[in-house]
Amino acid sequence: MSAKLLMKQVTKTYGDGDTMVSVLNNLNLIVNEGEFVAVLGPSGTGKSTFLSAAGALLTPTSGEIFIDGESLTDKSKSELTELRLEKIGFMFQSAQLLPYLKVEEQLLFVAKQGKMSSKEAKERAADLMKRLDIWKRRNHYPEQLSGGEKQRVAIARAWMNKPAILFADEPTASLDFKRGREVVRMIADEVKSEGKAAVMVTHDERMLEWCDRVLHLEDGHLVEHELSKI
Amino acid sequence: MFLALREMRHSKARYLLIMVIMLLVSFLVLFVTGLARGLAYANISAIENMPANYYVVQKDADQTFRRSQLTDAELNSVRAVVGDNNASSLALQMSTVTTKDADTKADVTFFAVDMNGLLAPKVIEGDKITNDTQGSVIVDRDLEQSGIMIGSTIQDQATGKEFKVTGYVENSSYSHTPVVYINNKDWQGMRQGVNQASEATSGAPFNVIALNANAGQVDKISASTKNVEVITQKEAISNIPGYSSEQGSLLMMIAFLFVIAGFVLAVFFYVITIQKTSQFGILKAMGTKMSYLAWSVVGQVMILAIASLSISLLLTFGMNRVLPDTMPFQLEPSTILLTSGLFVGMSLLGSLISVAKVAKVDALEAIGRAGA
Repeated sequence: MSAKLLMKQVTKTYGDGDTMVSVLNNLNLIVNEGEFVAVLGPSGTGKSTFLSAAGALLTPTSGEIFIDGESLTDKSKSELTELRLEKIGFMFQSAQLLPYLKVEEQLLFVAKQGKMSSKEAKERAADLMKRLDIWKRRNHYPEQLSGGEKQRVAIARAWMNKPAILFADEPTASLDFKRGREVVRMIADEVKSEGKAAVMVTHDERMLEWCDRVLHLEDGHLVEHELSKI
Repeated sequence: MFLALREMRHSKARYLLIMVIMLLVSFLVLFVTGLARGLAYANISAIENMPANYYVVQKDADQTFRRSQLTDAELNSVRAVVGDNNASSLALQMSTVTTKDADTKADVTFFAVDMNGLLAPKVIEGDKITNDTQGSVIVDRDLEQSGIMIGSTIQDQATGKEFKVTGYVENSSYSHTPVVYINNKDWQGMRQGVNQASEATSGAPFNVIALNANAGQVDKISASTKNVEVITQKEAISNIPGYSSEQGSLLMMIAFLFVIAGFVLAVFFYVITIQKTSQFGILKAMGTKMSYLAWSVVGQVMILAIASLSISLLLTFGMNRVLPDTMPFQLEPSTILLTSGLFVGMSLLGSLISVAKVAKVDALEAIGRAGA
């Protein structure tokens, strides 16, 4: 098994001198292929900072991050953009679909950015939409979809370019319990069927049923809890 | 363009509104430009259409035709340099003519020219006149509206001399008045009617000499002929009474219209871009290149600008057809190209502010945001 995400001694500090705050403090994490990891923590513990750093959006103050074996250190802004496009799939809070693209176009747009051939893109989009049960909705705009459907489109969009790892930022925040669980289960299913990895940041402890590991963000480190204790 | 086009498809009303505003502004720009050109043309078409590139005027005449007075001595001296066929005398006289048959008065400018020379009028209807005919004139077709037809007799109010109209020329106005071409013989007669001086022997004085010359010949003339100044056609036109001030104020209006067009567009797009800040953050987080987003914004502006410009061009041509003849309107292809190019250019300039805004959006904004 190869590590899809490797974080070594990652520290992120804000401010300086007396006002210096370490949000991430020598954080270590390995996520392997086929693993679905949940990161828990109440708000204000640095979940967003953690996700931004792991997702190549934020450069840590010190430490090293590898995505699919590739180091993020010393990469330029445009190189990071390209890496995000090819290796990382993002799911945001409340889906964040582009309001003016139909469901299928949301997926095709990402494929186009990733220079996938249009034939391959269509096939992959169709495949993903069928698996996630949004095939019938492919010609609808996001405003015509329910919250759960939107997040399913977001899952499909995140997997579209066959990324090495998926980062999900509170994917269940805007959903009710039942729909939220369904979305998490679908992320887990995709991790297994695509043979990739996923990291989900959440504050909702009821959503952890399908996660392989649950980590808690405490004082800037990740602490592992036995699944059975929850 | 994938995003740009689909966004316009989705928010039709919003983009239609912008297009209507751009359409109106570009229409106004084109229309005022057309009117300005039309006005200019009505003012100076007689000089603009002359096949002369330089004019010789008296040195202290401030480059103004009517203040200048030259004689055969200067004409001979100029002809020695450029040859007989490339220099022709021009005398002009503003006047009022009356017609007996139509009972109307019209302001005209008499142009006395050599009917075989450089400035001979190009008759489009009726008969030419020669240097020997007496009492015949060629008039600008605009006089048709005042009831002056081929065959009519016009009388110069100042001298009481009568002339028979034998032909029409086109696009021949000077200082907003139609031109009446007469030959030098009749001109001499007219001048003698006014002042009884003994000029009959040396020929009546004229105002300027029209030249078809190159720069070297112009230098030679300036050196060899005393008391004259050689000016370009452009300088001659800008010194026609009223021309510069008229064009100046219209040009000012057009310039402001361009600036307004640029601003309106820039503000509209900036507001729309601000509304979409979070979308741009998401797109950047997903790995969309900045160059792609920039082209998306610029592409939208280009599509809107070119589409509304095309419609306003059609509108302008339509408007031109229904305008009355008394409202001069003129748009040459070169003017259309320049105006259109400037309009698209201003639109692009306005869109750059939005591009700068998009460039500043941080992909980080995508994480930890609850709102859509």
